[in-house]
Amino acid sequence: MASNKKVLLKVIILGDSSVGKTSLMNQYVNRKFSNQYKATIGADFLTKEVTIDDRTVTMQIWDTAGQERFQSLGVAFYRGADCCVLVFDVTAPNTFKSLDSWRDEFLIQAAPREPDNFPFVLLGNKVDLEPRAISAKRAQQWCQAKNNMPYFETSAKEGLNVEQAFLAIAKNALAQQNQSVDLYNEFPDQIKLTNTQKSNGGGDSCAC
Amino acid sequence: MSNISEWSQSAEYLSFRSNVPLRRIVVDSDDSKGWRIYDCGPKSVQSPLVCLPPVSGTADIFFRQALALSARGVRVILAEAPPYWSTKEWCDGFRRLLDYLNLSRVHLFGASLGGYLAQKFAEYTCSCPRVASISLCNSFSDTSIFRGNESAALYWMLPALVLKKMLMSNFEPEPAKDSDTVKTIDFMVEKLDSLTQSELASRLTLNCIRGYVEAHKLRDLPVTIIDVFNGAPLSSPVREELYKCYPQAKLAHLKTGGYFPFLSRSAEVNLHLLIHLRQFDNTPLASSEKPLINNSLPDS
Ligand SMILES: Nc1nc2c(ncn2[C@@H]2O[C@H](COP(=O)(O)OP(=O)(O)O)[C@@H](O)[C@H]2O)c(=O)[nH]1
Ligand SMILES: [Mg+2]
Repeated sequence: MASNKKVLLKVIILGDSSVGKTSLMNQYVNRKFSNQYKATIGADFLTKEVTIDDRTVTMQIWDTAGQERFQSLGVAFYRGADCCVLVFDVTAPNTFKSLDSWRDEFLIQAAPREPDNFPFVLLGNKVDLEPRAISAKRAQQWCQAKNNMPYFETSAKEGLNVEQAFLAIAKNALAQQNQSVDLYNEFPDQIKLTNTQKSNGGGDSCAC
Repeated sequence: MSNISEWSQSAEYLSFRSNVPLRRIVVDSDDSKGWRIYDCGPKSVQSPLVCLPPVSGTADIFFRQALALSARGVRVILAEAPPYWSTKEWCDGFRRLLDYLNLSRVHLFGASLGGYLAQKFAEYTCSCPRVASISLCNSFSDTSIFRGNESAALYWMLPALVLKKMLMSNFEPEPAKDSDTVKTIDFMVEKLDSLTQSELASRLTLNCIRGYVEAHKLRDLPVTIIDVFNGAPLSSPVREELYKCYPQAKLAHLKTGGYFPFLSRSAEVNLHLLIHLRQFDNTPLASSEKPLINNSLPDS
């Protein structure tokens, strides 16, 4: 029975706004790309079934809005994440500089049990554009310093390397899930309690 | 009725009960039959979210949705039906309730049996729609998945204790692992215990009597399917059957959470409900006073 237990992988995409997070997700799940920029609002997700080593795996991919940066996205959003995808735009140096803070943000919010072994994957997107500001070498160096984080150069526009990148993401997420127990047990009750107190504290929690 | 479970005594639940009055609304000629209603959030909203419980629950089991979503400006109504013995009768009753409350179209959130009835009601009113959208939680669209079909006709005469035992034996497929699921089950057992024989027997009858949803009539309806991937009440073939009924649905899987994730994983379920409801921002079918957008992540 255990072998046909269905697997759900939760993947979270983070990075500065307009690096191509939504485009990468749409290219991967719907094989669509639009040149039009439409700001993502709040958070949203798409699901896709994939087969990995004969196992059917459902990926739940969460996309965020860049403007949410450094604001708490909420426990529910990060809860149970199996892999975090960091994205930057290879033509925009600032988006590369932000990577450390996105990684920190994730580690603080998701609080994985073993932060050093939690799988991250880095995507350098928009490789179809010139001129490049961040070389592959520079990105790889950053990854090496981060416990050899896998690195992919992608173009959501051209569909370049997107499939390969998400396959690697799924494999890393799966490996993570196989060696860890249900993350939910790890979440301290305090998180829930603060929530509770908040909804009680404000007298306006129910306008009835 | 004794309230001894941890959640019945929690500040959160007590705050809900002390802020939101329980109303009894009679819409049948038999006035011993009353709907039990909690209505919270802005009354100016015409298309509220209406939550429908599973067999074992009372309306207040959705207190965590009521508190969190109404805090975001959503009008949330928790509705528990009096004993009805057929889906047709239930749908007629629910339509009269909406008429009474002056609600022309509502968003339905139903957990298991509640979800099935939500779909039946959408089907029942499809020529003159009363349903703006549906969110289903661990639900189904065909009762033939239950073993009780043959005996459903006899539930009305079984003692309450026997019915309760039948239900309780289903609560825990495997021992609950985390404290939220344990507390949820304690709370639900207590709620189950408060139900009368006819309440239980009628709901079990609705749950098990042969019936299915003609989902092809609902293809234009926005649907979100929330379900639990592992340790869930429904097997994956049953869940997949539901996905097939609603190819348009957004699939909101939770990794774990047992039978009643709206309690045990309320933050996640509420996030999915907000994502579902925000597509109606700035439309006549909005479930909240102000747009939910920009606002759609619980700031815990
Ligand atoms: N040339 C090019 N443009 C891209 C690529 N990926 C995204 N874009 C464009 O960059 C803009 C921002 O993309 P979006 O996916 O919304 O970024 P997000 O804010 O990170 O979600 C849009 O106009 C996209 O069309 C890419 O790989 N190549
Ligand atoms: Mg975006």
